[in-house]
Order: sequence, then C-alpha cells, then structure tokens
Amino acid sequence: MIEIHHLRKAFRQGRGKAARTVQAVAGVDFTAADGCITGLLGPNGAGKTTTLRIAAALIEADSGQVIVDGIDVAQRPAAALARMGVLSDARGLYPRLTARENIVYYGRLQGMSDAAASARADALAHTLDMTPLLDRRTEGFSQGERMKTALARALVHDPPNIVLDEPTNGLDVLATRALREALRRLRDDEGKCIVFSTHIMQEVERLCDHVVVVAQGRTVAAGSVAQLAAASGESDFEETFVKLAFGPSAASAATGGAT
Amino acid sequence: MGAAGVVYLKELKDALRDRRTLLMVLLSSVAIGPLVLVAISQLVAGIEKRAEAREIVAVGLEHAPGLRNFFERQTYSVTAAPADWEQQLRDSKLGQPVLVVPPDFQDVLARGEAPVVEIVSSAANPRAQGGTGGVLRLLRAYNQEQATLRLALRGVAAATLETVRIEERDLADPATRAAQLAFMVPFFVLMAVLYGALNAALDTTAGERERGSLEPLLMNPAARTSLVLGKWGAVATVGMLIAVLSCLSFLPAQWLLRSEALAAMFRFGPGEALWFIALLLPLAGALAAVLMAIAIRCKSFKEAQANATVLVLVVSMLPLVLVLNQEGTAPWHLWVPALAQTTLMGRVLKGDLPGLAEALPSLVVCVVLAVLSIGFVARTLRSAALK
Repeated sequence: MIEIHHLRKAFRQGRGKAARTVQAVAGVDFTAADGCITGLLGPNGAGKTTTLRIAAALIEADSGQVIVDGIDVAQRPAAALARMGVLSDARGLYPRLTARENIVYYGRLQGMSDAAASARADALAHTLDMTPLLDRRTEGFSQGERMKTALARALVHDPPNIVLDEPTNGLDVLATRALREALRRLRDDEGKCIVFSTHIMQEVERLCDHVVVVAQGRTVAAGSVAQLAAASGESDFEETFVKLAFGPSAASAATGGAT
Repeated sequence: MGAAGVVYLKELKDALRDRRTLLMVLLSSVAIGPLVLVAISQLVAGIEKRAEAREIVAVGLEHAPGLRNFFERQTYSVTAAPADWEQQLRDSKLGQPVLVVPPDFQDVLARGEAPVVEIVSSAANPRAQGGTGGVLRLLRAYNQEQATLRLALRGVAAATLETVRIEERDLADPATRAAQLAFMVPFFVLMAVLYGALNAALDTTAGERERGSLEPLLMNPAARTSLVLGKWGAVATVGMLIAVLSCLSFLPAQWLLRSEALAAMFRFGPGEALWFIALLLPLAGALAAVLMAIAIRCKSFKEAQANATVLVLVVSMLPLVLVLNQEGTAPWHLWVPALAQTTLMGRVLKGDLPGLAEALPSLVVCVVLAVLSIGFVARTLRSAALK
C-alpha cells in the first residue's frame, strides 16, 4: 500500500535575475490500495513525475509524506525501495548486456543471489511474454521489448508495490495491450499495489480500479471511473477529465481555494 | 558480496564487451609505443650503418688514378655515381655527396698546377650534406700526403707542416639518441593508463546519464557510495589492464631493436615492468576518479569527451616539463601526478630505483585526488540522474 499525504515540492529554475520558483507539486494526496490498480491521471506538467520521483526517494519533498507499507520513504529510503518496483520515465538499459543480465544486475543490487535473480528473470519473462528475448543483447531492441525488459528489471525482487511512470509512452497498440494484460495479471494473481501515471484517458478507463486526477500540482478528484463521471455529470470520460483537470474546480484549486 | 562488488563486476563486464573501443585503445596506446621504438631503432641503425660504410661516390675518378689509389689505401670503396646523380641528389634519393673529378685532372697535376675537384651535395638533402665533411677530410688528407711527399723530396721534415694536431669528436652519437628513446616508454605507458580509463569512465557516468539508466539505477536500495566505488574500481581496473598490456608490449619490442647501441642502452625487463606497474597503480586510481568527476557533470558522452580533453592534454604535456627543464629533477616534480610517475619511471629505466620517500608524495596526492573525486561523484549522482 502506498499513501501520499499533502506532498509539496518547489524547484528553482534558472540563475541570477532570471531565477524563478516553480511549484511542481502543491498538495498531492492519495492512497493506493493493495490488489488494485491506481491511475494517476493528469495533463503534461501536472506534477505526476515529480510525485512518483519523491515516492521513489529520488527527490526530497518540501513537506508531506510518502508511506510505503508503513515505511516513511524520507526516513528509511532503502527499506522502502526494497518494497517497491519503480519503472521511471527514464528506462535506459545496458546495450552490451543481455536482457537477463540487465534484470539479474538489479536483482543482485536488491540483495538477491545470482541463481535466485536468474530464476526470477525466467519467471518474469514468462509473465511478460518475452522468453525468446531473454538471452539477447538489448542493443537493437524495439520500444516494446525495451519496456518489457525495464519492467522485468523493476519487478525482479518481487516487490509488493509497483510504480509505473507513463509506461505506455512510445508503445504501439499491441505492446500497450500486452502491458495492460500483464498488469491485470499482477493485480489479480499476486495482489500487488500498482500505481500508474498517464495522461491518456482510454488507458485509465480500461485498466484502473481507482483514479486520482492531478492538475497543477494538486489532487483535484479521486474515485472510480464511474464515480468521477457521475460526480461531474458527464457520460463521456474525456469530458469528465477535461472538466476536472481544466475546469473551474481545478482553477480554484490552483489559486488556493478548497474544493 | 556487497553492492559495490556487484556494480564492479557488471561495469567490468560491460567495459570488456565494448570490443570496438577496446581494440582502438589497444591499437593506439599498446601497439604504437613498441612500433615507434622499432621505427626509431631502424633510423639509428641506418645512421650507424652509414657511419661504418666507407664509401665514396664519384664521377670521373678514372681520370685520377693517384687519388683512387689513395682512397683504396684508406680502405674506402669507390662507386661510380649513377647517370642522373644530380637529379637524385636533388630528390634526396642519393644519400651521399658526389665527388666530381675533371677529365684533365692528371694533365693539370703534371703541369704542377692544382686541379679542381668538386664535392656536390644539396642543402635540401641532409643525408648527403652530412657526408660532405668526411669526403672533405679525405681530400685534405690526400693533399697533405702529396705535400708531405714533395717536401720530403726537398728534405723538409713533415712535422713542420703541422703545428696543431686536430681530432674531431661528434657528441650526437647513438647513445644520446637512446637516452631520448628511453624517455618515450614512460610517456606511452602513462598515456595507456589514461586512454584505457577514459572510455570506461565516461561510459559509467555521462554515458549512463545519456542512456537514461542512471535514474533507475538509483532506485535500487544500494548506497550511492557503493555504486560509485564499484564503478570507480572497474574504471581503474580497465585503465590498469591497458597499462599492464602496454608495459608488457615493450618486452618483445626490444628484441626487434636493430641497433646494437640502442639495445644495450634500452634495458627494460620484467623487473622494470613490475616497477612501472607498481608506480602506475595509484595514478590509474586517481585518473579514473578525476575522469568520472569531470564526466558526471556532462549530459552526454560527447560533452564529456570534450571536457575530458583538457585532462588528457594536461597529462600528456606534463612529461614535457622534464624535456624542457634541463636542470634535472626538481623536488616539486614528485608532487605532481603524471609528472612524478614519469620521473620515477625514468629513474627505474636508468637503473636508479626510487625509494619510498620519493614514491610517497605522488601516492599521497593520488589518494587525496581519488577520495575527493569519488566523494564529488557520489554527491552529484542524484542531481545528475534527474537533469
């Protein structure tokens, strides 16, 4: 389970007189339960990536808290990371290593033995339908193949919590479907807590049990797809999203008004 | 095995799989040293051979049997110049000056006059120009012999002609060249460490940023210091590996030395190679760390390469201090990395093994540099991953 409470983070951009402060996250709040796929939906620049980077202990928040299975990420980052598999926006592989070596490397860094990590790579390859790729060097992999390898690498230590930052970026329709299928299996068979950020509504509609809409650094709404649609009075989810993310409630949230 | 060990093994495997880069490094820093050594030995051997060859190239010497007889008595062999000798001299194809004897040599001599002979060379042909002195001396000796004979006929002692006896000595002998050559070996070995470490250092830092693999790497529970230590160890190992290969490559190279004088001067055996390796080890560690510190600030491999050029330039210029500074080794030389190693390796080649007191300053400087750079990389790693 991942709980995010009142997260705030500002960055300073530029130097000297041109310097300005950008409030990237200004109060993100949500809870992602186990056995559930939580979608973090928001337009570009809404603060999704920053939120997930704070959750992965890459950035320190100005205020607020991220709790992973009862562990405060800011205080015990190593313990929290051991219970999390993170597929970040950057998912570079080592081109001179095989897919298996890429996966085993992360397993070893998570403290697994060589044999255990290799066995886990086989199991994940089966789940993600990438067994024929496993012993090929990743140089020349397609986008979909890279994404699968990066996902397997992030899941090698069998973490109970999975965080994915825009995982479908650059994937074709078949690869996207395969990924959705894999995530459903991880949820249903293994009861994982999955958090998954995106700006594509169709993905949220098809996959997510719980949706958190983020706009201008804040959580503006949360609930199931049906609940959100009902609350906004729209039958079409795209309209719902536009209304929630760019509508008057989002604007008042951004200026500090309570919603 | 800790995280540092896991990272070390992975980075080493990754670097050793980069075959194309390794091959270029091997060619440029391992093979080039011995090749240059052999090429220079060929040159020196050529000079030695010409000094030994007592040969006169002449035109029309058949008109001067007396002169020819004199040359042969001095154990010089006489060769007729080729038909187009003037052109060959201009084109530097003929490596010796040509002696031109006029057809009326004998008649002029018989009349008691002095016949004119020419020594022809070209200022643009240094090999031929260098040989004119020898021919000139030979002709003067002939003049002197003739004069002495004539004086003797008139009852004058030959010694009256010679108030001062002159002997010439050329200090630019092959031994001096060999001393310059010995300076080359430490330089090439030093560059091998640098070029060996360069690619691995840039790949594990700027390369990792460019590929987008640094951010996921930091999402592992391993401590950043362990990650950096593992990377640094692998980079230093690759640099050292190339240095060891470079040291070893000079061992067979000296069997190919064509010049005996050179071979006698250039003593580089397994013992010297071991000394070199011991002296280079701390430098490999320091250079690996400094290169990583330079590269971690760069967003791409290319940018890192451009930045690292400054370090490469400094390291390759430092040994020149020894060449330009004719006053010998100054105490501060031992405190400057790269310069200290070159100095100490030079001492090893001369058979003057350095003591601990001389090796210590560079060791201390290298350790301090490595620790500072590793600390800097570990501190910068996170912000580097995000930008």
